[in-house]
Amino acid sequence: MRNILRKEMRLSASALTYLFVLFSFMFLLPGYPVLCGAFFVSLGLFQSFQSAREANDILFSALLPIAKKDVVKGKYLFVCMIEGFAVLLMALCVVFRMTVFSKADFYRTNALMNANLFALGIACVIFGLFNWVFLGGFFKTAYKFARPFVLFVISAFLVIFVAEAMHHVPGLEVVNAFGTEGLSVQILLLISGMIIFFFMTVLSYKKACRSFEQINL
Amino acid sequence: MAIVEVQNLEKRYPSFELKDVSFNLEEGRIAGFIGRNGAGKTTTIKSMLNLIHPDCGTVSYFGKSLEGNEAEIKRRIGYSTGTVSWYPRKRIREIVDTVKRFYDCWDESLYRKYLDYFSIDEGKTPLELSEGMKVKVNLMLALSHRAEVLILDEPTSGLDPFSRNVILDVFTELRNEGVCVFFSTHIISDIEKCADDIIYISGGRIRGASAKAEFAQRFSQGSESLEDTFLRLERRDNHA
Repeated sequence: MRNILRKEMRLSASALTYLFVLFSFMFLLPGYPVLCGAFFVSLGLFQSFQSAREANDILFSALLPIAKKDVVKGKYLFVCMIEGFAVLLMALCVVFRMTVFSKADFYRTNALMNANLFALGIACVIFGLFNWVFLGGFFKTAYKFARPFVLFVISAFLVIFVAEAMHHVPGLEVVNAFGTEGLSVQILLLISGMIIFFFMTVLSYKKACRSFEQINL
Repeated sequence: MAIVEVQNLEKRYPSFELKDVSFNLEEGRIAGFIGRNGAGKTTTIKSMLNLIHPDCGTVSYFGKSLEGNEAEIKRRIGYSTGTVSWYPRKRIREIVDTVKRFYDCWDESLYRKYLDYFSIDEGKTPLELSEGMKVKVNLMLALSHRAEVLILDEPTSGLDPFSRNVILDVFTELRNEGVCVFFSTHIISDIEKCADDIIYISGGRIRGASAKAEFAQRFSQGSESLEDTFLRLERRDNHA
């Protein structure tokens, strides 16, 4: 498994994928829809799929001495690794905003959502959507990625829009907590986001393995 | 002894059908897989590598079915396709360094030998190589892990006559070491030069699969050359 992940990182991945992980730091921007950071990380991942297709990567991988489903596993592992790293950077930003800058005016006077644990949970949902809609859609053919990516973009921005609007709904102000306010609810929301990510990824992976087995390369 | 058994492979496409393809390959022999463009050579080879999903039929290597033993079998076989370019902007050194980790039996000295033999500069990228050199790189990758069976899809296409000769000499050398070489081609002189067995496919069906001498005895008329025999057979199939 280490070998296929290494192959993904060294041969298949676009340099932009690694560079776009830095968009995680958008969680530090005041007055900006911070969840767009998660979208840009996904856009970076999309670049790898584009460059891999130009390099006949899927066929090359299928010829390696691994089972066909391990080709799918390699892609999912790589994507989850990048997403995991992005979430880690976003978590650092969130901790920074919850502690050092918990009372900073430029964050408090923000009409948009605060980068808190709820936002981190939603970032996990966006990554889960990428894995479910884009990766799952891509492995139906292993070469067509425009349609699954457009579907992902639409669904990701719907989630961003809803998440950004939620704290303006009376009774839901808690989702925009600052510092350690409503910490237990915040943690619960983060865990919910992570569970959604987990199920979306696992279900998509299983379906992708089945589809890829039937594809003619 | 048959180390590769292909039995009753069938694959239906809207405009083409692979029908009841069966043949065996033996160790220490070179089998030439001949047929005109579109005859079904690549479809058969892709089925043998689980790259396409046949409608029915089985493929087994070393007495084991490909299904369920894919990783183990792929470690013991080598595959190369004509001029497909993998990772055009990566250095060959980098591609090889990644690929060799998948093979327990990767032979670095053998790799160095073929690198030198084919005059390949591992600092170059596939984008910087001619079509012929790409074929050689693909072959080098297939040869460097001591494969017991080599499956080669048109390995001599795009090569100059001298390079083709070099490749055919490599096949003969490998055959003498006990390797089974299976290569598809539409260049009949390549078959005449080095193949022990001939598998002839036309219109998605195997028309003949036997030792070269037996094949000539069965299909050739008078002092007809192998090339003339194939041309006559193809003309007959076209008119049928």
